Amino acid sequence: MTATEGRAVPATGEEPPARRRRPGRRPSVPAWLRPAVWLPLVVMLAGLAALWQYGARRLPYLLPPLRDVGRSLLDNPGYYVHNALVTLGEAVAGLAMGFAAAFVLAVLTSEFPLVRRAVMPVATVLNVTPLVAVAPALVVAFGFGPLPKLVITGLICFFPILINTATGLRSVPREVLQVYRTVDASRVELLWHLRVPSALPFVFAALRIVFPLSVIGAVVAEMSASGSASGLGTAISVASSMNQLPVVYASILVLALMGVLLLSAVTVAERRALHWHDSTRD
Amino acid sequence: MTGTPAVEVRSVRMVYGSGPSATFALDDVGLTVEPGRFVALIGPSGCGKSTLLRLVAGLEQPERGDIRVHGVTPAEACAAKLIGLVPQSPALLPWMSVLRNVTLPQKVNRRAAARRARIAGLTGRQPPAAGPDMRELLRRAGLGDVARKLPGQLSGGMRQRVAIVRAFGLRPDVLVMDEPFSALDEFTRESLQDQLLDLWEESETTVLFVTHSVTEAVRLADTVVVMASGPGRIVEGIEVDLPRPRRGQLLGERRFHAYEDLIRDRLRRAWHHDAA
Repeated sequence: MTATEGRAVPATGEEPPARRRRPGRRPSVPAWLRPAVWLPLVVMLAGLAALWQYGARRLPYLLPPLRDVGRSLLDNPGYYVHNALVTLGEAVAGLAMGFAAAFVLAVLTSEFPLVRRAVMPVATVLNVTPLVAVAPALVVAFGFGPLPKLVITGLICFFPILINTATGLRSVPREVLQVYRTVDASRVELLWHLRVPSALPFVFAALRIVFPLSVIGAVVAEMSASGSASGLGTAISVASSMNQLPVVYASILVLALMGVLLLSAVTVAERRALHWHDSTRD
Repeated sequence: MTGTPAVEVRSVRMVYGSGPSATFALDDVGLTVEPGRFVALIGPSGCGKSTLLRLVAGLEQPERGDIRVHGVTPAEACAAKLIGLVPQSPALLPWMSVLRNVTLPQKVNRRAAARRARIAGLTGRQPPAAGPDMRELLRRAGLGDVARKLPGQLSGGMRQRVAIVRAFGLRPDVLVMDEPFSALDEFTRESLQDQLLDLWEESETTVLFVTHSVTEAVRLADTVVVMASGPGRIVEGIEVDLPRPRRGQLLGERRFHAYEDLIRDRLRRAWHHDAA
């Protein structure tokens, strides 16, 4: 009857016959538990670790041994958790600000061509200006408190959300609009019932881009504000000035994990919100 | 008959582009449709049949001429929800269940009911009673089991049926359909034609139906309006005097084919007239 019934059927080639399952059911053994899925990554990581250790032995002033990095993490977990939470807070709060501003402007630009003509050139210039260069000036302007960090993070997230959301709001198919125009739906009704839901896939595509960017923004802001007290960016600056290589690399590792965590959160949210959309179907 | 036609088009001209590259999509087109009639518009591509439909539905403004739907302008007709549109594609919202898809047009523009009653009063018609039971309507269209499903889970024919139910759910005075079955396979198309006729016969709605299938036009319509291109114009309106329901044996009978031949002949003549 429908073409989508068999959507969730996994590749069953490697299964023992006893574990055959009904088509269309979720597999009882998740795909990622199969060696074919996780083994390549493990081999890759082991190879990288071996290479690292070799390098650390040859160049002890450039690379700390992995053991030292791990010990730094385990000896002082509170330090990393505290700084990670500070950076995470800046990243998420800045992203929220950037998102709110970009979303409202996207709605305005898609509804009013005049606003679009005024806003888009400015937004484009803002986008092509390297924020790393702007950050010190913003620190001078807003001080060493949290504000410049939020502003920088917000700015770095602003443009991708604006462009994607504006495109998404205009992505309603012509014939759908015609159906609702013949019943004289108001602009607000069109926006709420048609345009905003149609924009969601585009918004999520933007979020996938800006969640990692927000961490970059927070770290850049911390590094630019040389007197700031905490955050992983600050920790890296301080540790590298004191030549504490294990701390530098431990902080970098925590930052990377944070980015992965944020991206996974977006993916989970996307799968829930866009279950109807083609992009979430395997 | 109350005297006010359901659709009245008077000497309408529609031009796309300007200067020497301007094309006359429609020129001096006039058409009067009495309430409750099923009218099919047929013609080669570029004859302006879809343009004419969009003009009636208020989606475009004519360059010249006048269009009335139950005595009011298309814009007023839309504001009062007199018009139901079934486009070529189902145009469903993929994030909403079938049931919510067919009820959403009723939820928007809530002030339409009062306007509609006023317009009905002007022309001495009864405004429709409260909105229909959409679950029941879906069930009658064979969609009762899929009311909670998403459009992406349905076949193409079912999606188009949902679009038709959505339009009928408005209880429109004028139903405007733009080649709604052209993307479907033949079996699906025939069963949807039957369902459309069933729904139409118990509603009292007027239908404007654009098609490029001669058989479809003869099967469905009371009047087949033959159009020609360059400039887009109406050649002839042919009354189809065949008993309803038109199904089974009738489709193989000589009188059915006679209408098909007549329409094909008119289309061909208009075509040669253009070429000459």
